[in-house]
Amino acid sequence: MAKSNLLNKIFNTGPLILLYYLSISEVDTNLEKIFEIFTFNLPIIIIYFWILKKPSIMGTGHIFVAGLINDVVMGFPLGISSLSYLVVCFFSNYVRNKSINTTIASDWFTFFIALMFANLLFFSLLNNFSDIIISYSKIGYNTFFTLFLFPVLWLLFSIYQLNFVGGRNA
Amino acid sequence: MAISRDDFSISFRSALLQRGGSQKFSILSLIVLAIFIFFLDVYGFAVVKTARSIINDVIFRTSYIISSPWRIMPNANKTIISHFNLKEENDNLKIVIENYKSLELNLEYLTNENKNLRKVLDAENITNDKKHIVLAKVLVDRNSPFLKSIIINKGTQSGVKKGMPVTQNNYLVGRVVDTNFLSSRILLLTDLNSRIPVSLGADSVQAILTGSGTKNPKLEYLPEEYKLKNNVTIFASGKDSIFTPGTPIGTTILDTGKYSNEVKLFVDPNQLSFVTVQLSRQNKEKN
Repeated sequence: MAKSNLLNKIFNTGPLILLYYLSISEVDTNLEKIFEIFTFNLPIIIIYFWILKKPSIMGTGHIFVAGLINDVVMGFPLGISSLSYLVVCFFSNYVRNKSINTTIASDWFTFFIALMFANLLFFSLLNNFSDIIISYSKIGYNTFFTLFLFPVLWLLFSIYQLNFVGGRNA
Repeated sequence: MAISRDDFSISFRSALLQRGGSQKFSILSLIVLAIFIFFLDVYGFAVVKTARSIINDVIFRTSYIISSPWRIMPNANKTIISHFNLKEENDNLKIVIENYKSLELNLEYLTNENKNLRKVLDAENITNDKKHIVLAKVLVDRNSPFLKSIIINKGTQSGVKKGMPVTQNNYLVGRVVDTNFLSSRILLLTDLNSRIPVSLGADSVQAILTGSGTKNPKLEYLPEEYKLKNNVTIFASGKDSIFTPGTPIGTTILDTGKYSNEVKLFVDPNQLSFVTVQLSRQNKEKN
């Protein structure tokens, strides 16, 4: 029984560990070596999905800290990734409050809005308050592939949730 | 209609202010905190700068340790493959030796040419002076889609300052843009924010090498009606008093490049393990 509880705890913290790992490690979702324009924002998908489906395993404080770590590693001004993550978190919370059952299509559509707002905030802050120059085409590709890959990751995370985490706790 | 509006405002407020369970902080409070930290950092308050420097050092080292399995795995794979390819490698090495022998014949000519080029460029021969260089290990090489930079394990403690040029095998790699006590961030030549004055060709034509965010940076501000040739070596001109004049950077590639003004760098920015920071230059930027 105790062993099973421990395993459950480990599986429950899996998405959070993945989020921290992606923020702190060199492992990222920039696959330029495979395909020149292929980059996507996995942390945003993780946050959106797990806040929507199982908020108890993804604390907002952790999301905030993961964003700060990401800023330090990437060299962005502190707090900018946290803001973007929290915007996604807010949208996800709102959708969860408003809906009882969600489908992959409805999640995809609401994720699109969340992603747009988060990226808009991120890049407008970076553009106005920082000296860092960013290619707009890269932002476009990144947003497109993040959106494009959402259903795939939605399915993967749903399988993980079904097998290791358990049902939704709105 | 009124019910719908109430419903919206309740959901909106709840999404912003909801706490409980693992949600120990409301999203609104964290957003306010993030905005506060962002503006403190952007406007560069001294306290934040020091705190950030300490956080950077801790996180960069943690990142290095955490990423080590990803670094070890490809190397282990390479070792196994190289073990099985020993014969082929031996044959290749024989060919390489033959090539070197033929290159040796041109050595004297190249040495003289190099001397002449250095005279022309008024280069300071500092590359072999160990007092003026710091060898650094690349801690984090996160290939971000937006920023092309690396983190090295030497900081202000080793005399590294903002603006110092960074090389590998005497080829220019980038410059220091951020320093901490034990680590520094290097902006690579491929980054969109990188601008370097360069000279090229026998007549030392001046241009600016601009990072494009892709593998090959581009040459800009060339003289009007100047026709770029293939395989012309690009050197740092040193006009900015940051880079050592005559430091080789790359060659022009007219045939294979996507654009006509692309430069193929001598050092692949994705394959950096150790780099050298040149300490001896007078820098305009202050730490």
